[in-house]
Amino acid sequence: MYNNIIFYSASFLIVLFGFLTIFFKNIFYSLLSVICVFFLTAVLFLLLGSEYNAVIQLAIYGFAIPIILGLGIMFTGKSGHETASSGSKLKDLLFFFGGLFILAVIYLVLISNTVIPNGFNTNFNYEGINSYDNFRIFTQGIFVKYIYAFEIISVILTITAVGLTMIKKRGEGLK
Amino acid sequence: METGLYHYLFIALILFIIGLIGSIMCKNIIKVLICIEFILTGVNINFAVFAKYCGGVMSEGFVMILFYTAIGAVELAVALYIFYFMFAKKDSDNICKYGDL
Amino acid sequence: MGELISNNIYLILLLPLWIFLIIMLGRFVSVYVNKSVIWGLSLFSAMLGCIASLGLYKIFTPDMVFENTIPFIKINDFIINFGIHIDRLSLIFTSVLFIISFFVLLFSTTYMKNEKKQYRFYALINLFNFVTATFFFSPNLFQAYVCWELVGLVSYLLIGFEYSKSEKSLASKKVFIINRIGDTAFLAGIIMCSYLMYEYAPSKSLAGLELFDINTISTLVSVYSPHTLYLIICGLFIVAAMVKSAQFPFYSWLQDAMEAKLPVSALLHSSTLVALGVYLVIRIMPFLTLTPSILKFIAIIGVLTAFVCSLSASVQNHPKKALAYSTSAQFGLIFFALGILNIKVALILFVTHALIKSMLFLTLPDEKEKWNILKFILFAIGALSLAGLLFSGLCAKEILAFSLSLKGIFVLSALSFITSFYILRILIVIMKTNGIEKINSKKIETFSAFSLLFINILLYIYLRKTNSYHISIPYFSAILGMLFVLILNIRNWILKISCPLFYNGFYIDKFYMTIILWLYNKFAESLAKFDTKILGNYKPIIYVSKIGVNLIDFVETKIMNGVVSEITKSIKKLSEIDLKAQNGNIQRYNLYAFLIITIIITILSIAYLTIIINIKGVG
Repeated sequence: MYNNIIFYSASFLIVLFGFLTIFFKNIFYSLLSVICVFFLTAVLFLLLGSEYNAVIQLAIYGFAIPIILGLGIMFTGKSGHETASSGSKLKDLLFFFGGLFILAVIYLVLISNTVIPNGFNTNFNYEGINSYDNFRIFTQGIFVKYIYAFEIISVILTITAVGLTMIKKRGEGLK
Repeated sequence: METGLYHYLFIALILFIIGLIGSIMCKNIIKVLICIEFILTGVNINFAVFAKYCGGVMSEGFVMILFYTAIGAVELAVALYIFYFMFAKKDSDNICKYGDL
Repeated sequence: MGELISNNIYLILLLPLWIFLIIMLGRFVSVYVNKSVIWGLSLFSAMLGCIASLGLYKIFTPDMVFENTIPFIKINDFIINFGIHIDRLSLIFTSVLFIISFFVLLFSTTYMKNEKKQYRFYALINLFNFVTATFFFSPNLFQAYVCWELVGLVSYLLIGFEYSKSEKSLASKKVFIINRIGDTAFLAGIIMCSYLMYEYAPSKSLAGLELFDINTISTLVSVYSPHTLYLIICGLFIVAAMVKSAQFPFYSWLQDAMEAKLPVSALLHSSTLVALGVYLVIRIMPFLTLTPSILKFIAIIGVLTAFVCSLSASVQNHPKKALAYSTSAQFGLIFFALGILNIKVALILFVTHALIKSMLFLTLPDEKEKWNILKFILFAIGALSLAGLLFSGLCAKEILAFSLSLKGIFVLSALSFITSFYILRILIVIMKTNGIEKINSKKIETFSAFSLLFINILLYIYLRKTNSYHISIPYFSAILGMLFVLILNIRNWILKISCPLFYNGFYIDKFYMTIILWLYNKFAESLAKFDTKILGNYKPIIYVSKIGVNLIDFVETKIMNGVVSEITKSIKKLSEIDLKAQNGNIQRYNLYAFLIITIIITILSIAYLTIIINIKGVG
């Protein structure tokens, strides 16, 4: 029962804050609501039984990315107010509702049992995953099963970081 | 009503759509980047849901979330990096002016 | 080998049609075919047809038939096929067609050098090849009728080739209209036979009038129809053949057809177009043998035509007109041979006449041109052959005489006398009016005429070897005719012979032009008076016709033009919308990409899942 309450409230707030990020004209306000959304998805991850994911979500999405975005805003924004927008409101609204409709149709088609023959192979009894198993998934996943993916991604990230600094240095060198 | 597979999937879908619409409608670049992060978050929730509910088959979905998160963060950093350099010339944060990217 | 060629004969037949289409339709897409390419292709197709028909003639035994048809019109159980029906008879006719066509094409490469729009000529000759070959290879009477009409059309196009000169276009129109009489008769005969077959015959497939079933069809028609109707049906077919082969009451169109150019006369109106009637009569023989009076009728018409036209030819001063009468006369002789049921002689007469007459046409000089001596020699040899004194003409006449009784031989010798008279008279007339010269030889023209003569000699040798005959009275009467001409020449009376009756072709042409046209004009005038005076003043008709005009006007402007303008407007709007979608807005591009990818993936997944369900079953 507690699961239901937490889930419904969290989901309602996610939707609300997500809508508010688009709605606010002031970037700082939308940044704040983004932080709220990410915190609430961490709660959602907790409900799904993986605390490790929740903590990672909090750490990266909840703290690091708002810092980066905040830095970006502060460097470039002119007191945070939105500049004048061009384009027609009606067409964008039309696109919005049209997209919503299409996705809803697709979703309804996919979950109906006529398309998926057996349904997903779900077990609805919630033993849950205890913390040891959760942790074990991660150790097995990163260091044993998917070690190649892990190493490649780390190499890619390293190259990105190095590359960015080199571009900056070359840009400064030319000046 | 018990919260099942489909409820979590629906939340992920809504988050995805919000991110999509926002990336199309907003004129401010920072907002567009935020909405892209929304998209990635929705996908992450999807992975977690399937990892839990089809457990025994796919419990390594949680590992995928880790990788996606890392990539998403780096992608944001690179985007801001480019935006910073372009801003020096354009001096505006309206995406309509960046058509010649 | 025979099977291989017979299966692919339609490719050989279709090649001339393709050449025609390429030349004529290519003009619409600015593909102008080079002249040498046209010459090469036409000559190649004629040579190919020649080799194919002669080769198949050797391979086929006299009772072998190859047929390949597909159903063309199918209405419940009334089926008309079209395809190919190869028989030794049809191979004779097509080999004659292709040989003469080849040499006429060779002749016209140099003869037509100064014509504008030469491509039309070669295209039409190719079309003529195709249509005539299809006629000879047709498996039933319906396809024969189609090709019959088309041949008339091609003849119209070729006679009026220089359509800017009014007398030529008028002549071609008249030829076509007179040929229509034959077409109508043929169609009436076909319709009656087909109707009788469909209604009363035990099997409905006989209504397609196949040549395989011609025996059963003829007997059944004679059973199901009263005697007079049967005679009328046979009479209709014979009238069609008579019109096409220029026999007694219908021979005047051949005079107007001589307005055409020389190669056209050589190919069409001396050997191949007029042969269609003979072929038809041979195919219809089972009909005609059931009542012997019809055969007598054909023979009498043949002899009558021969006499009338020979007499008319003997007073003509223009060479082409004389040769046209000569064609009718010789075909009268062929019909006489058919009438006495001696088909072999008829075919021999036909083949020899075709070769000789086309050679005679090819060696004629133009209006004010001096006659080349080589051509003069070739014309002289051909003239003697036609008269029955040399080479294959001799053979043909003697083989015919071999099978006749005394009365027949008497008639034949009278004809030979007149024949040699007119042909040698024409030779001397041309000598006197044009004059002979030694130089200025055109090699290709003389070569083609000479090769026709060579084939003539080959045919003579072949006939000598395979048939037995002896020289009898017609040969001597021909020599008498020749002596008569030479005597008249010495006395210089050649050009003074004139007789108005003969000169105007026994006034058949004038009869048509004055009396029948007068009748037709009267009829048309009375109709016009009725229309203007009586119907024109009748109020309700005026009222109704006004409404009709308004309605048509409305439909045309609002609906038809409106539809077209609506289509153009909507296309313009679509292009404007499309232009707006490309305005450089990155977000818009994102949206389009997302939508399209979603749709594609949805469709793919649904398709995959439905396939999996159908293969593995639900559950």
